[in-house]
Amino acid sequence: MSSKFTSTRHLKRVISLFLFLGFLLIDFSSGAQTPEAEKNFQQCRACHNLEGPKLIGPSLVEAIKTREQDWLIRFIRNSQEMVAAGDPFAVEVFEEYGKIPMPSHNLSDDQIKDILKYIEAGGKVDPQYAAQAASEQPVKGETAAVEQDTADEQMLALESQANRNNGTTFIITLIVMLALLTDLFFTKWLKWKYVHITLLLVGLFVLGQVTYREAAAIGRQQYYQPDQPIDFSHKVHAGQNEIDCQYCHSGARNSKSAGIPPVNVCMNCHNLVKKGTLTGTAEIAKIQEAWDNGKPIEWIRIHNLPDHVYFNHAQHVNAGKLDCAECHGDVKIMSQVMQVNDLSMKWCLDCHRKTEVQFANNKFYETYEKMHEQFVNGEVKKVTADMMGGSDCMKCHY
Amino acid sequence: MEKKYFKSIEELRVDTSRTIDIHAKGDKHFILQAEKESAALPPTSRRDFLKAFGFTIASAAVVSSCEQPVRKAIPFLIQPEGIVPGKASYYASTFFDGIDYCSVLVKVRDGRPIKIEGNNLSSVTKGGTNARTQASVLNLYDNIRYKNPLKEGAESSWDLVDGEIVSKLRQISSRNGKIVLLTPTIISPSTKAAIAEFVAAFPGAEAVTYDVASASGMLQANELSFGKAFIPSYRFDKADFIVSFDADFLGSWLSPIEYTKLYMQNRRLTDGKKTMSRHIHYEGAMSLTGSNADYRIQLRPSQQKLALAHLLNELKRLSGQPATQLPAISHDMSDLASNLMKHRGKALVVSGSNSKDEQLLVNEINHLLDSYGNTIETDVELKTRQGIDSKMATLVDEMNAGKVAALLVMDVNPAYDYPKANEFAEGLKKVELSVSLNFAQDETSALTTYVCPDHHYLEAWNDAEVKTGYYSLSQPAIRPIFNTRSAQESLLRWSGNTDDFRHYIQNWWEKNLFTANDQHLLFTSFWNQKLHDGVYESAKRETDPYVYNPLPAEAVMQKAAAATLPDSIDLVFYTNVSVGTGKHANNPWLQELPDPVTKVCWDNYLMISPKLAGEMGISDEQLVEVNGLSLPALIQPGQEYKTLAVALGYGRQNAGVPANGVGQNAYALLQAEDGNISYVLSGVTPNPQSGTFALARTQTHHSLEGRELLRETTLEEYLEKPNAGNEAHEKAEHHMKTLYPPVEIDGLHWGMAIDLNACTGCNACVVACSAENNVPVVGKEQVMAAREMHWIRIDRYYKGDEHDPEVIRQPVMCQHCDNAPCENVCPVAATTHSNEGLNQMAYNRCIGTRYCANNCPYKVRRFNYLDYTGADAFKGNRYDPTEMTTDLRRLVLNPDVTVRAKGVIEKCSFCVQRIQDKKLQAKNENRQLRDGEIIPACGQACPADAIVFGNLNDKNSKVSQYFASERNYHLLEEIHTLPSVGYLTKVKNRTV
Repeated sequence: MSSKFTSTRHLKRVISLFLFLGFLLIDFSSGAQTPEAEKNFQQCRACHNLEGPKLIGPSLVEAIKTREQDWLIRFIRNSQEMVAAGDPFAVEVFEEYGKIPMPSHNLSDDQIKDILKYIEAGGKVDPQYAAQAASEQPVKGETAAVEQDTADEQMLALESQANRNNGTTFIITLIVMLALLTDLFFTKWLKWKYVHITLLLVGLFVLGQVTYREAAAIGRQQYYQPDQPIDFSHKVHAGQNEIDCQYCHSGARNSKSAGIPPVNVCMNCHNLVKKGTLTGTAEIAKIQEAWDNGKPIEWIRIHNLPDHVYFNHAQHVNAGKLDCAECHGDVKIMSQVMQVNDLSMKWCLDCHRKTEVQFANNKFYETYEKMHEQFVNGEVKKVTADMMGGSDCMKCHY
Repeated sequence: MEKKYFKSIEELRVDTSRTIDIHAKGDKHFILQAEKESAALPPTSRRDFLKAFGFTIASAAVVSSCEQPVRKAIPFLIQPEGIVPGKASYYASTFFDGIDYCSVLVKVRDGRPIKIEGNNLSSVTKGGTNARTQASVLNLYDNIRYKNPLKEGAESSWDLVDGEIVSKLRQISSRNGKIVLLTPTIISPSTKAAIAEFVAAFPGAEAVTYDVASASGMLQANELSFGKAFIPSYRFDKADFIVSFDADFLGSWLSPIEYTKLYMQNRRLTDGKKTMSRHIHYEGAMSLTGSNADYRIQLRPSQQKLALAHLLNELKRLSGQPATQLPAISHDMSDLASNLMKHRGKALVVSGSNSKDEQLLVNEINHLLDSYGNTIETDVELKTRQGIDSKMATLVDEMNAGKVAALLVMDVNPAYDYPKANEFAEGLKKVELSVSLNFAQDETSALTTYVCPDHHYLEAWNDAEVKTGYYSLSQPAIRPIFNTRSAQESLLRWSGNTDDFRHYIQNWWEKNLFTANDQHLLFTSFWNQKLHDGVYESAKRETDPYVYNPLPAEAVMQKAAAATLPDSIDLVFYTNVSVGTGKHANNPWLQELPDPVTKVCWDNYLMISPKLAGEMGISDEQLVEVNGLSLPALIQPGQEYKTLAVALGYGRQNAGVPANGVGQNAYALLQAEDGNISYVLSGVTPNPQSGTFALARTQTHHSLEGRELLRETTLEEYLEKPNAGNEAHEKAEHHMKTLYPPVEIDGLHWGMAIDLNACTGCNACVVACSAENNVPVVGKEQVMAAREMHWIRIDRYYKGDEHDPEVIRQPVMCQHCDNAPCENVCPVAATTHSNEGLNQMAYNRCIGTRYCANNCPYKVRRFNYLDYTGADAFKGNRYDPTEMTTDLRRLVLNPDVTVRAKGVIEKCSFCVQRIQDKKLQAKNENRQLRDGEIIPACGQACPADAIVFGNLNDKNSKVSQYFASERNYHLLEEIHTLPSVGYLTKVKNRTV
């Protein structure tokens, strides 16, 4: 994707670059809208449009113009406190939007200012970062992406199917071997015995392989893809609507378990969104039903670890800054979630051996003085989880 | 200086220090057990083998063809704010069971309380706990809790029982019948208000306080001396010279957690301190406190009053007052008196006796020593004992005379623990309306018509004023598990008040405490802050009642002058640190806790001195009958010649499994003296019987082998030479040469330092460890077979001769050796070393060869011989005599720690889950770990702050400073295991 820009596109970029540079000159204090703002904005996106029709809350480009920045920061951080304190405008907004409270957000002043900039810019990242991002990630056309997703999803299905054929292989091999044995001792059609013996040896090898694979997979659930009580599509939510994973699975950041969203989180949006693009009203009605009956939804758990394994999401997502997809696969393309990795110990350890920890970015690692020295000197190029004891037994088993 | 250490009489007499005698007690049990078990199993035949073989193949086939079970993930409907599934929250609360007080934090994971920790914000308990506080979380999940209100033993509904009780109360009240509410000491001001409301609603009603561990002698003595029945605050931190007459203030006397904290403030020699208090202890039976004293002097309890009188006499003589002529005793008190006088104003004399006369003498002694206002504060009262024994006696008489029409029992169990329990039970039959408000099944509730079950304290709102001005709050940490209701709310309902108790407390606090506070303008902010902290400490003080009246003490002196000294055998009744008064007897953690002195669990027994046992021909574990009670004898070194002792709190009949039938109930032997229950019975005759009864004791399970495990010195020697008693350390360091590369650990290297001078042996750490790490309870049989599972044990050693030994204790857990002998013998590498210096144990890799346990020189590895936890796939394998694996009790398990199955080794992990948790928190907050941030469960629980944990690579950390101390040594350091646990030598303030 290096040089195939069309001229107009290029021109647009140049113009916007100048515009933004000008902007920066005017207002240094508030900083630029960074990719982090874009990421944080995913939380807003669940309830707000940038422009156009209002969703659960008002559309933001217009809305943020009506108040001062200080007020906005306070409101974004904890709107309910302001409502409780009787701020007239806060109360008005609250009343106007059906008394649905805006959840509080644990963001710093700078982060919020950053997001406001991002909104002001109409949902664009500052070109200096955008250029960076573009060079890292190929830009895809909207339709092309969907097509690609569907193809990927089919690939995944095929892969899982292929894995389930072990049993067939086993039986066919067994039949062939029996036939060979029969021929060897009784019918004697083939005259050259070394053919029998070679084929039998090959057969034994295949049987051994299959048995080993099956035995190793006992208790594992790779390619597990159960039907859920609600035909919920991650492809629609995380893929097409680009809702951030942690909007729903909010525990991932600070808890051991990522958590399944409680019904009240579903209702944040589905209070208004009553009709789905694929399933119509039938599936969404089940949420409403659960809400009305006061009964939580009994989802089927897909990713299970044995009891003697301690796994902590916060460690990986927050401290390790890993992307959810590294373990859960590209959930964005899954209509129905499937466990794509086998979650075996080997799989964990392989990753620990090659994944770098946030050695340079996290002050915690300054405790490791010797390693730090070597890292600064350049003697050690990268510090993996394994080097920090990531393959010790008692990091996961206790 | 010859130091001869021993751990049991057998060892001393046989001298097994060099040769291993397999017939020594512990081993004998072990062999017997093994024989019994193998005899129980039929010999394996060829057919059995084939059956097993076939079963294995079949099960393998079944397992491999099976689908995985479908597991569900059910989220909240509405997730409460601040609750994140998988993340623990802590709520401040207060533990008070009528005996012990402790301000606590309750760890709640996914809606259930799983661990109790001390609350650092309380300046009474200062973050310390004791064994019973730690174990109280298991009582929440007690199998014998009432699930519904009962009427005549059958389950009923609240509406029904409320209606019937109220109408009967009204009826009784209208004809001026007597209604009595029987409670333990109430320290909750709101509960007192609720009781007052109840009493006001029913004219003729009365509240009677009944204390099982009574201090009524002291209350009455203070009333005579100062005109007010109260208990003052004892400041052990301000006292340089402490004399205790049988007051077990580190174990069971009044407020042991508080006293341990204060006492140790003036005993610890870390942080460059060069002085420590001197503690002299007079007692007959060996107690926890006595065994920690600098000098322990044997005194028969029946002579204690006279000894006190003699001491007073000497003090009077020294201060120029006329002395009284007293009958002679064998102890010379003049030395003690002059020492006390030297420390005037910095001395403290306490007595654990419940006799009014003795307490009067103690008052006079403290008065002469200027203790009041210095080491005893009279303007801050301790409120945890308010009961006067004679009032309870009057009540029982009235019940039997048919004068009591209604009796409401709230949180007391007199049908078990009242000395005349039978009389109480008889009297109860004559009571028209009997109601129990107890929370779980017990002897008293079995006799009452109605049972209106209370919440457990972790489910309820409550408040407390433990000392004048020191308030604290309790808040629910879980929704009520069963259909119960807080006792206070029951009382309010019956008196016609429909308020809920939380609101009631809030009202009380708003009216009485908020108005006097100067920090908060709004009550909501005041309340939220105090609820968050758990404590509120106001500047409120009592008007000082200190106007001393010497006349009552003088009268006692006159009485003492006329007394004759009996030469009979005394029987002492004591409460131990585990089951205490028996209220928590149905707690398996407490039952399995070895007594700090005798190291026996699962029973009570008759402690007898070696000399008396020799004279009477009584051998260890022989049954001895004393005043109708048949108990196994336990020959106790250091016991006074003619003093016997037995623990109260055993022999419960209606308390569920495992409490029922464990030990004998000794309450029936207690007698009143001068109206107060006396915990000493004079003139008993022990009658040896023919049978024996085996006791489960843990100390004999390991052998000392004559090695220098204990290092100690005296204060004098220490001041002269800081490494006194620890000369071997230098030698070991000098010889530390190895062919292997040195162990180098970058970053975090965990280490633990234990100050032997601070450790009292109270056992709080043992229970805390069991709770934190899901340590299984194995029951008496298994303990006798040396299969106890505690990850931390407190070894108790005697030094000297069996008649008057010194006692030293030493907590031992996995030493996390950097050169660990266990690691290189494991054939499957199930135990390895981590990059943080931890000796790791991977349960799922362990195949149970036990090579590691054999090769561990510290004997800290525990093997799951049977399926104690229910973790085994086959239900029939379960071995659970204590009912720890019921669904209810399993709710206490810590979900972050694996529940071990049969056939694997386990041991102390330095609470790796707590280490990992704090590391993650630091990473998420983008900072380095702070020293002292990570505290293992044992260190957190310790009321003496004897356990310090931290990073050895950080030269400024507390643990590094301890390790650098000249007092520091390691266990068996000469064998070059390089342990990560260090011990600081014990320093006693005595002249050798």
